[in-house]
Amino acid sequence: MSVLSSQVPFSNTVHNTTSLASMVQANAVTKHVPTQEGELLILHPISLSVNAGESLAITGASGSGKSTLLGILAGLDVPSSGEVILHGTNLSQLDEEGRAAVRAQNVGFIFQSFQLLPGLTALENVMLPLELRGDKLAQVKAKEFLNRVGLDARLHHYPQQLSGGEQQRVAIARAFASEPRILFADEPTGNLDSTTGARIIELLFELNRAQGTTLILITHEERLAQLCQRRIEIAAGAIVSRRE
Amino acid sequence: MLAIQLLKRNWRSGELKLLGFSLILAVAVLSGIAIFTDRLESTLISESNSVLGADYIVRSSQPHNVEWEKTATDAGIRQTQSALFSSMVFAGDEMHLASVKAVAEGYPLRGKFEISRVPFAMNSSDIEIAKAIPAPSEAWVDSRLLPLLKINLGDKVAVGEYELTVTQVLIREPDSASPFSMTGARLIMNIDDLPKTHVVQPGSRVDYQWLVASDEVQQLKQFIDQLKPQLNKHQRLVDINSAQERVGRTLQTSKQFLLLSAVIAVLLAGVAIAIAARQFSGRHTDQVALMKSLGASATRIRSLYFSQMFLLGGISSLLGLVLGSFLQQLIAVSLQEAYQIRLGPSSVYPYALSFLSGLMCLVFFALPALWHLPTVPPLKILRRELTVNTTQVWMQAALALFAVLTLVILFSRDLELALSISSALLAVIVATLVIAFGLLVLSKKWVVNLGGFWRLAFANLQRNRGQSLIQILVFAVAIMLLFTLTIVRTSLIEEWKVQVPDDAPNHFLVNIPPDELPHVQALLKESQVRPEPIYPMMRARLTLINNVETTEEQRSTSNALRRELNVTWSDKLAADNKILKGQWWDTWQRNESDLPGVSVEIETATDIGLKLGDKLQFSFGGLEMHAQVASFRSLDWRSMRPNFFFIFEPGSLDGYSPTYITSIYLPAEQKSFINTLLHDHPTILVMELDRIIEQIRSIVNQVSDGVLLVLWLTLIGGCLVLFAAVMGSIAARKQQAGLLRALGSPRQLIVGSICAEFAILGFLAGFIAILGTEILLICLQTFVLETPIQPHYLFWLISPVSGALFVTLLGYLGCRRVVTTPPAIVLREAT
Repeated sequence: MSVLSSQVPFSNTVHNTTSLASMVQANAVTKHVPTQEGELLILHPISLSVNAGESLAITGASGSGKSTLLGILAGLDVPSSGEVILHGTNLSQLDEEGRAAVRAQNVGFIFQSFQLLPGLTALENVMLPLELRGDKLAQVKAKEFLNRVGLDARLHHYPQQLSGGEQQRVAIARAFASEPRILFADEPTGNLDSTTGARIIELLFELNRAQGTTLILITHEERLAQLCQRRIEIAAGAIVSRRE
Repeated sequence: MLAIQLLKRNWRSGELKLLGFSLILAVAVLSGIAIFTDRLESTLISESNSVLGADYIVRSSQPHNVEWEKTATDAGIRQTQSALFSSMVFAGDEMHLASVKAVAEGYPLRGKFEISRVPFAMNSSDIEIAKAIPAPSEAWVDSRLLPLLKINLGDKVAVGEYELTVTQVLIREPDSASPFSMTGARLIMNIDDLPKTHVVQPGSRVDYQWLVASDEVQQLKQFIDQLKPQLNKHQRLVDINSAQERVGRTLQTSKQFLLLSAVIAVLLAGVAIAIAARQFSGRHTDQVALMKSLGASATRIRSLYFSQMFLLGGISSLLGLVLGSFLQQLIAVSLQEAYQIRLGPSSVYPYALSFLSGLMCLVFFALPALWHLPTVPPLKILRRELTVNTTQVWMQAALALFAVLTLVILFSRDLELALSISSALLAVIVATLVIAFGLLVLSKKWVVNLGGFWRLAFANLQRNRGQSLIQILVFAVAIMLLFTLTIVRTSLIEEWKVQVPDDAPNHFLVNIPPDELPHVQALLKESQVRPEPIYPMMRARLTLINNVETTEEQRSTSNALRRELNVTWSDKLAADNKILKGQWWDTWQRNESDLPGVSVEIETATDIGLKLGDKLQFSFGGLEMHAQVASFRSLDWRSMRPNFFFIFEPGSLDGYSPTYITSIYLPAEQKSFINTLLHDHPTILVMELDRIIEQIRSIVNQVSDGVLLVLWLTLIGGCLVLFAAVMGSIAARKQQAGLLRALGSPRQLIVGSICAEFAILGFLAGFIAILGTEILLICLQTFVLETPIQPHYLFWLISPVSGALFVTLLGYLGCRRVVTTPPAIVLREAT
């Protein structure tokens, strides 16, 4: 594994131009944050491209900048410089409203802490993104996906009545139910024991294959990273290694 | 619609329940009070107006403008007229200067004539309600006119040039007028007969009255507002407040109290709403971040949350309105059973106002806490440590204060009440911040000597200083408002009761001739009736002030200059009189002019523009008399004792022949004493005040009952606030307690430290609350209720102690599960 300067392209994919097959493309994105000692660069210029249907694992130690990069790629955050093109749309040219619209159309999320709403049942949690899109078949689709993750008997359970693995399965059902083109997952197995984690990984990839979704995930877990077609490792805000 | 779905889910999950219930309570209390007050006011005014005979009377020395009649008829307002004058009434050789009231069809518009075939009738079976006015050529007369003229029913009496047949004895009449200006017995006749008597000539002293009444309050008010500018200086508009100051004042204070309670209840509910909204907002920060990550835009989030809030506001306000109308109906029914009073219908105004107030509460108390939600960055879903810019606390407080002011002004239309409440609230906020901060800092020094849970409790308070200050503020405001209401209620009811004590004089004896006085006194003694002091009374007119004739302007501002006055002399100052300026006779000295002194009632003196030492000239039936102003006095017209605008120095009126006046208390069973008295002394005029007193009592009782219920509702509001404030901090406390429990801390330490923390919060809040209560009471009593100010020493003890106990109890109830549930579950729930 070679250490590369972050300015050096890490893959053979085309940079600085938008490929039609490219689902997410980052061109020299950086992130500064203000601190008492002045501006701190937490993400050095990073460029990468992920094609439709590909899966990419982002690994790295805590505080390396993985989550910052994921947030920028998903349009949750804006880079200090550089641009992100998501499904052909340059996010840097959009305001928050515009980015929200892009996310609504294209993006799904799975989080380490599941992020289920405690007041809603499993079914309602899965229905929420569909409802936000105004999908009239929200309930039917939500039931179908809960069925696919094996929770058809738990539709009306609240998150606190479910185990960690079950909660993450609800989160996966929620993410896939809106049929996103690209799915971002932040440590999807981070809060689960290894057996449960393994089942969740299996489910995640199974659905990913079936839906043809592009998958970008952050993980500590070697096994999960191995399953992805590509992998980058980040340290101190820069890409330090890659596997194509 | 997604907002409805979300609202349903949020309600089910319990996150909106506190907000909804607070809003329902606010609207229920507001509408309950507003509708009840509206109904009570219209009923009481209409009842009180039966004393007046109308809702409004235009009194004048000239007949009213006939053009008004058409306007009134067009506005659907009932009207009639009467003319009052003194005239000699003859029967054979006997004559009497009677007080004649000529009335037109429809008189009275409020209340009824009570007539009888039996003179001095006491039994209700002998008394009947008149169905109409006396027919032409007929007259109804006071019982005492029969012995005075030595006539019986069916005999004829002559008024001027016209003879009338006496067909009924008049027992009671509305608008029986001031006892002091009317010394003659009453004769009621039909106004159509008036021209035939030829007694009313140009220049005759006649008091023309045009009476109007309507059940359509708004229309009547509109009509009166139109009428006012058309009145000339001789025409005076009289309503119940000016005619019956006692009833008017009681009504006014009770209404103010009810409104004050309503406002306090709303304030409490408002605080509960604000707290609930804060909690809701805290819980929904993550939800908004999630929704945003799922592609919901800020606009979408704003619209979703605002729709939810307005739906909740609308539904809660409607439910509150239903509950409020049910509550007021409950009070109305109990009133009806207890006092046989049927309340009239309410206008739409209080319903609309209450509904809007519900929405206003939500906008000003809840929305500030939710305002920032749409701006929550979506990245917060990944990075939970991101801070969210919430609306500044001072901004929230300013909005709440603005809401309070607007609500108070809307409901009471009383700027002083609004300012009193707002200034006291501001004072409490400042005091809370200063005192609580100081105490928390001080406590740090001596807390080291404390052991166990006290140290833990203080440490917690210190660590969450901002949170602690807010909690103390909320507790203090709630306790302050509750105490204020309780104290005001108690003191108002006491004041009302003192105002009309059980043995208050309930009859005035007027026009007692000097030669009959010894016999009257003997009769009183014999019947064991104890009179109040007996005063000589003379009628005089104030003609010159410092040798200058009174001006038209002075006459227009002062009744005392327009008519004959009842004056007296006395060496003793009556108990309800107070010298405000100058000296009473025991210290007063005549100056070089050697004029006798006169003490003047302060409001009259102000109206005329008198100064101490001014020289006044009076005319006693044409005899001139000079005096010098020696003092100004305040007096209590509500005391039911004879009172005078002008009291002369003893001995100064020796040359003028007086009649005497006193007041007595007659219990119902001794009422027949009046018959005996009037049989023997028919020239004496007896004013029966017992009915007015009974009326005031009944109003006080009704209002007290209503007020008690309102107080309970407000208490519920207060508890809701305290509960909300406690629950708001429970999650964090649970987490800490769970952690301590997991680390093996004993139950006593955890429960003890939680209780100690709440006890300290409650104690400090109680201490600040009583301080605020005193400030608020001073403002209210000085500017609004005009009742005496007094400190409440006992409450300085009760407030901190009860604050500590109550808040501790609530805190314990909220946190007790912490020690009985396995720590793992507590910690899991808390995260």
